[in-house]
Amino acid sequence: MNKTLLVSGCWFLVVGALLGQDARQIVAESQKRGQSRSQQYEGTLEVIGAGNKISLKRWMFERIGSYGASKAILRFTAPAEVKGVALLIVNHQDRASDQWMWTPALERDRRIALQDRSTRFFGTDFSFEDLEERDVNQFDYKFEGEETFDGQPCWKIESKPKESKSSQYTSSLMMIRKDNYVVIQIENFAKDKMVRRIHYSDVQQQDGIWVGRTMEVLDANRGSRTVLKLEKLQYNVPMKEESFTLEALRRG
Amino acid sequence: MIDLAKVSKTFSGKRQVTALEDVDLAIARGEMVAIIGPSGSGKSTLLNLIGGLDTPSSGQIEIDGSRLSGLPDDDLTRMRRDKIGFIFQFFNLLPTLTCFENVAIPLHLRGWPKKKIDERAKELLSMVGLASRVDHLPEELSGGERQRCAIARALSVYPPVLLADEPTGNLDTHTGADILKLIRDLHQRLGSTVLIVTHDPHVAESCERVIALCDGRIVEDRVGKASLRLAQGRQVGDLPYA
Amino acid sequence: MILLRLISWPYIRKHALRWLLTIAGIVLGVAVFVGMHTANQSVLYAFRQTVDRIAGSTQLQISSGETGFDENVLDRVQGVREVRIAVPVIEAVVNTGLPGQGNLLILGVDMTGDRGLRQYDLESGDEAVIDDPLVFLAQPDSLIITDTFAKENKLGIGGKVPMSTMEGEKLFTVRGIMKSSGLASAFGGNLAIMDIYAAQKVFGRGRRFDRIDLAVEEGARVEDVKSKLEALLGPGFQVESPSARGQQFESISRIYALTANITSAFALFIGMFIIYNTFQIAVTQRRTEIGILRALGATRRQVRTIFLGESVVAGLLGSSLGLLLGIAIARGMTGYIGALLGEVFGIAQKAEEISTNPALMLFAVVLGVITSVIAAYIPARNAARVDPVQALQKGRYQQMSAGENRVRRITALAVTILAAACLLLSRYRLLAYAGDALAVLAVLLLTPTLAQWVARALRPLLRWLRPVEGTLAADSLLQAPRRTSGAVAALMLSLALVVALGGLTRASYDSIFKWLGVALNPDLFISPSQSLTARSFRFPGSMADQLRAIPGIGEVQSVRDARIQINGAPVIFVAADVRALVNRATLPPTAGDPTKMYRLTGEGKGILASDNFALLHGYKLGDVLDIPSPQGVLRMPIVGIVVDYSDQQGSILMDRSVYMRYWNDDTVNIFRVYLARGATEAEVKRRILDRFGTERRLFVLTNRDVRQYVVRLTDQWFGITYVQIAVAVLVALLGIVNTLIVSITDRRRELGVLQAVGGLRNQIRGTIWLEALTIGAVGLILGLAFGALQLYYSLRITGEDLAGMRLDYEYPYQICLVLVPVILAVAFVSAIGPAESAVRGSLVEALEYE
Repeated sequence: MNKTLLVSGCWFLVVGALLGQDARQIVAESQKRGQSRSQQYEGTLEVIGAGNKISLKRWMFERIGSYGASKAILRFTAPAEVKGVALLIVNHQDRASDQWMWTPALERDRRIALQDRSTRFFGTDFSFEDLEERDVNQFDYKFEGEETFDGQPCWKIESKPKESKSSQYTSSLMMIRKDNYVVIQIENFAKDKMVRRIHYSDVQQQDGIWVGRTMEVLDANRGSRTVLKLEKLQYNVPMKEESFTLEALRRG
Repeated sequence: MIDLAKVSKTFSGKRQVTALEDVDLAIARGEMVAIIGPSGSGKSTLLNLIGGLDTPSSGQIEIDGSRLSGLPDDDLTRMRRDKIGFIFQFFNLLPTLTCFENVAIPLHLRGWPKKKIDERAKELLSMVGLASRVDHLPEELSGGERQRCAIARALSVYPPVLLADEPTGNLDTHTGADILKLIRDLHQRLGSTVLIVTHDPHVAESCERVIALCDGRIVEDRVGKASLRLAQGRQVGDLPYA
Repeated sequence: MILLRLISWPYIRKHALRWLLTIAGIVLGVAVFVGMHTANQSVLYAFRQTVDRIAGSTQLQISSGETGFDENVLDRVQGVREVRIAVPVIEAVVNTGLPGQGNLLILGVDMTGDRGLRQYDLESGDEAVIDDPLVFLAQPDSLIITDTFAKENKLGIGGKVPMSTMEGEKLFTVRGIMKSSGLASAFGGNLAIMDIYAAQKVFGRGRRFDRIDLAVEEGARVEDVKSKLEALLGPGFQVESPSARGQQFESISRIYALTANITSAFALFIGMFIIYNTFQIAVTQRRTEIGILRALGATRRQVRTIFLGESVVAGLLGSSLGLLLGIAIARGMTGYIGALLGEVFGIAQKAEEISTNPALMLFAVVLGVITSVIAAYIPARNAARVDPVQALQKGRYQQMSAGENRVRRITALAVTILAAACLLLSRYRLLAYAGDALAVLAVLLLTPTLAQWVARALRPLLRWLRPVEGTLAADSLLQAPRRTSGAVAALMLSLALVVALGGLTRASYDSIFKWLGVALNPDLFISPSQSLTARSFRFPGSMADQLRAIPGIGEVQSVRDARIQINGAPVIFVAADVRALVNRATLPPTAGDPTKMYRLTGEGKGILASDNFALLHGYKLGDVLDIPSPQGVLRMPIVGIVVDYSDQQGSILMDRSVYMRYWNDDTVNIFRVYLARGATEAEVKRRILDRFGTERRLFVLTNRDVRQYVVRLTDQWFGITYVQIAVAVLVALLGIVNTLIVSITDRRRELGVLQAVGGLRNQIRGTIWLEALTIGAVGLILGLAFGALQLYYSLRITGEDLAGMRLDYEYPYQICLVLVPVILAVAFVSAIGPAESAVRGSLVEALEYE
C-alpha cells in the first residue's frame, strides 16, 4: 500500500477530516489531496549500506497525468557512471504498471518484467513495486485506531492487496496525519514480518499540496537505509504527453 | 682318476644336516665301483659331488687330474660334459625327443657338426641294442629300452667316467639284470670308470669294488664278491657293435 | 576354510611371484574397468554439478538448439501464469587475455530478475565488494567474477580483465565479486557474469537469447508447465530440465564407456586364460598332494572346493588391487576426458574429485571373482578327478595334457562354419555382431590346433637356427599345447585388437583427409573464434560484402552452423549458399543425383544429409525431416546423401536463405574465402586483419591451419585407442611371462637333465629365449591373420554403428611392421626373468623334481 512514493513524494490528505469516515475513505482522501496534473523534482538519493557505506545518486523526475493513470520519467544525473540511465513508468488503473529502462552506453531499452518488481530498485532500498501508483480499489482497508506519531495525531490503517499477485507484500500499516492527510509512515509486511519501512519527514506545503520532502526507506532484511530528498519540487508545470513515450526515453 | 680329500657336505636349513663328513676316496681309472648304504647315508650326494652337479661344503675333488672346487659354473659344465656320463634311476629322457634326438643332445651341446653327430648317435644306439628304435619317442619304449637309451646318451662322447644313480631301481629284476650287464659290458669294452649307487646287493656284488656309506662316512671299502665270476661270464662278443 | 589355509597357503607362499602374475590379468581388467568408468563418471558428475550450479533453482530451460531465438519469446513465456520467474540467458566462452587463465564462461543474465533464480552471493561483507546494480547495468564493460578468479589474478573491484569481443580487444571492469560457492564454483571459478544486453552486443548476437531459465509458481507442477510451454512455443523449442543439458556430453561419454567395457572385458578375458593356465599347472604340480589328500579321505568335492576357493581368493585379491590401480588410472584420465569435454563445451571441465561409485566397485569385484572362478573351474574339476593311486606313484612323470581334444576340435569346426556363415551374411547388423563373437570363439577353440601347426612349421627353422635349443623350444610348445595356447591366444587376441584398432584409426584418418581435401578447400577461413567448433561469437551477415571489397579476395561464402535436435538426435546443420558452394566443393554423394541434389537444395526445396547422419539414424534418400525452427517445424526432404564429417553425430546442409527465413538470423560463424588469381595467402590475410583487426574480433585461418586443427581433434578423439593398445600389449606380455614361468616350472627336470648332460647356462637360456620368441612368433602369425578379420568387423561395427563412417578396408601393414619387432622384443624381455630362474636353481633338486 505504499503507492506513489516517488511519484508524488508523499501521501496526500484531505483537509476535511470528517469524523467517523472509514479507513478506505481516509486513504482515498489522502490520495486525492496529493493529486496534481504534473510534478517535477530533483531527487538526491543516499544509500547507506549495512557497513555504513554511503553511495550518492541524483536524478531528475517528471510526471504527467492523473493519479493511477500517470506516466513518469526518471533520469539519473549522477554519478558519472550512471548518467543518462532512465526509467519510464506507465501506470495503469486496472493492472500493474509497465516499466522500461534505458541504458545509453548500450543504446537500448529493456522492459522491467512484472516478475522482477519485487527486486530492489537499482541498489536502493526501494523495490520496483514501490515506484508504482495503484488504485485505491485494488486494496482492502482496516481501521486500526489512532495514535500520536512524530508528535502528530495519526490514523493507523492496515491495507491488504485484493489479488495475491498484485503485491510482494501481504499487508501494510500506514500512519496518516489527521491534520493534513499526509502519510508519514508505511510499514510493509511479508507474512507477518516487517520487511520494509518508509518514513516521511520534512512535511511542507508546495504549490498547495502537502508533501513530506524527505523519505527514509529501511530494508529490514538487509539492515540498509536509503534517504531520498526532493529538491526543486514543483507541481502543475506544463509538460507534453510526447515526452513520456518509449521514443522519448530513447532520445534521452 | 677320481680323488676325494676330506670332502664334507652339509645342507643348511632350519637344522643343519651333514650328508657327508670328511670322506677320503680314491678310485683308479677303469674301476667299477658300487656305492651302497641305507637311505640318507649320503651315497647320492657323493655321486652328485663327483658329477659336479653339486659342490662340497669343504674338501677337494679331483677328476682326471682337474680340480672341481672353485671352477665357475660353465667350466664345471664343460668338465661334466667331457668327462662324465650320467645314468638316472628315472631315465630323465626328454619326452618330446626321439631316441635318436635324446642321444644326440649332448653332442649338439658340444657343437659337433651334424654329420658327425648322426654317425655317433647311430653307433651309440647300436651299441646299446636300440638300432631299431631310433625314431621312437621315449613313451613308446619299455622301461629297459628307455634306460638303454639313457645309457647311450650318457656315453655320447665316451666319457672316462660313468655315474649311475640306481640305474635298475625303476626296473623289474629281469630287465634290471640286463641293464646291469650292459653297463658291465660297456665298462669292460670301453674301459670307463663306473660308479653305481645302488640299494640292490646283487648289483653291488657284481662290481669290482663296493664302498658302503653310513651317516655320511665310508664304513666299508672292499672287493666285490662277484668280480671274479664276472670274468667267466658272457663276453663282450655279445655286444652288437663288436 | 581350514583346508585352504593348510593346503593352499603354503603353496601360494612358495609361488608368490607366479600367483601375483596370475592375478595380474584380473588386476588389469578390473583396473581398466574401474579406471575408465570412474574417470568417465567423475567428469560427468563434475559436469552435472557445473550444470546444476549454473542452473541455480531453475526448473526448466527453454532453448532452440544452439541457434538461439528472438527476444520476444521472453514476453510470451513471462505471460504464462504458472511461470513464477523467467529470465533470459546468453552463454559464451571467451578467452581472457590474462596469462595462464584460458577460457572464461560468460553468463549473460538480466540482473534485475536473475537473482530470483541464482545465488550470486555478492554481499560478502568484504569491504572491496561493491554491489551497485545500476552501475553494473549502465556500463557495458561490467563484469562480475568469482573470488577464485579474482584471487588467482589479483583482481579487485574496478580491476580490468582484457577480453576479445566482436569489436576487438576490450578491457572489462570488475564490478562485483561472487563468493566461491554455488554458482561461482562452476568450472572451477572460471565463470563471469555480464549484463545480457551487453553480452548480446559484445558477442554479436543481435537481439537474441540462447535460452530462458524459469521457475514455476508454487503449487504448479513442473511437468504441466513444460507441456503448456511446449504447446505455446511449438516444436522449434526445447523445454527441458537443466539436467537434460548434459546430454550431448553424455552421448560422447557413452562411447567412452563402451570402449572401457571392451577394453576391460578383453583384459579380463586374457586374465581368465592366465588364471586357467596357472591353475592347470598347479593341479599337475600338486598331484601328489592331491593324491595324499584323497588317500586321507578327502572327497572329490572337497578337492574341487580347495581349488575353487583359491580362485576366489585370487579373484578377490586381484579385484582389490585392480580397484586401487583403477582409481589411480581414473585420476590420470579425468584430465584427458575433461579436456575432451572442453572441446565440446569450450571450457575444460576439471573434476576436482574422483567420484567413486560403490555399486561400480562392487560390480568390478564381483566381475573379477567370477572371472577367476570360471577360469579355475576346469582345472579344479581335473584336480577332483586325480586318481590317488597313480598320483602317489613316485617317479611317474605325468604329462600335463592328453594332447588333442576331439570335442574341442569338432566344436571349433562347427563354430567356424557358423562364423563364416555370419561373415557372408554380415550385411545384416545383428549377424555382423554375432559373426564377430563367433569368430573370436572359433579362433579361441582353434588356437591349440593352429598354434601346433605353426609351431610344427617353425620347428625346422628353429632347428636350423640352433639345433638343440631350437628343437627343444619348438618341442616344448608342441608338447604342451594347452600351456602354450593360453599365451598364444592372449597374444593373438591382443594383436588382433591392435590390428583392428590400428586399421580403424587409419581408415578413419584416411576418410577424414579425403573429406578435408574435398570439403575444406577454401584458401582462408575467417572465424570469430580460434576454434572452428566454438559458436559463442558470430559475425553479422553484412560483413560478407565488406570482405568482398578487400582486394585479392575472389569469393566469400557465408556459413552458419549450429547444433539442433531432429527427433531427439543431435545434429549439426550447416547453412550456406549452396549455389556458390557447389562451384567450389561438391561432397561425394552416396545416394542421389549430384546435380539435382545441389540444385534442389539451392532452391530451398530440400536438404543434404551427411552419410553418417543417415547411417546412424537410418534415414534414406527422399525421407522428409521435421527440422524444428523458432518459426515452427520445417519439413524438408533429404534430396541427397553425401560424405561429410563435419560432426561425429551427423550434419545436414541447407541453403542459407532457408535458414535466414526460418531462424530470422543472418549471423555467420565462418566465412570461406577463396583468393583471386595471383593473390597470396599472406597478403590477403594481412589485408583482412588490417581492415577489421581493431574493430572486430576475428581469426583468419589458412587452409593448413584448419587441416591441422581437424587432425588435432581427430587425434584427441582417437587418443583412447592408444590406451587400448597399451593394455592389449601389456596383457600379451603378462600372458607370455606367465606361460614361460609355468613352462619352466613344468620343465624343471628337463632343463636339469640338459645341464647334467652338458648344457651350458647360455644354452639353457637360449632354449627359453627361443621358446618365448616362438610363442611370440606364433602369436604374431595368428594374431596378424586374425586381425584381418577383426578389422573387418571393427570397421563395420565401430565405423557404422558408432561413428557412422563408411570406412575403406585397408590392412595396416605399417602397424604390423612395428608389431613384429616390438612383440618379439617384448617376448624376449619377458623371457629374461624366467630364463635366469631356470639356470640359477639347484641342479640336484631339478633332477629329483617331481
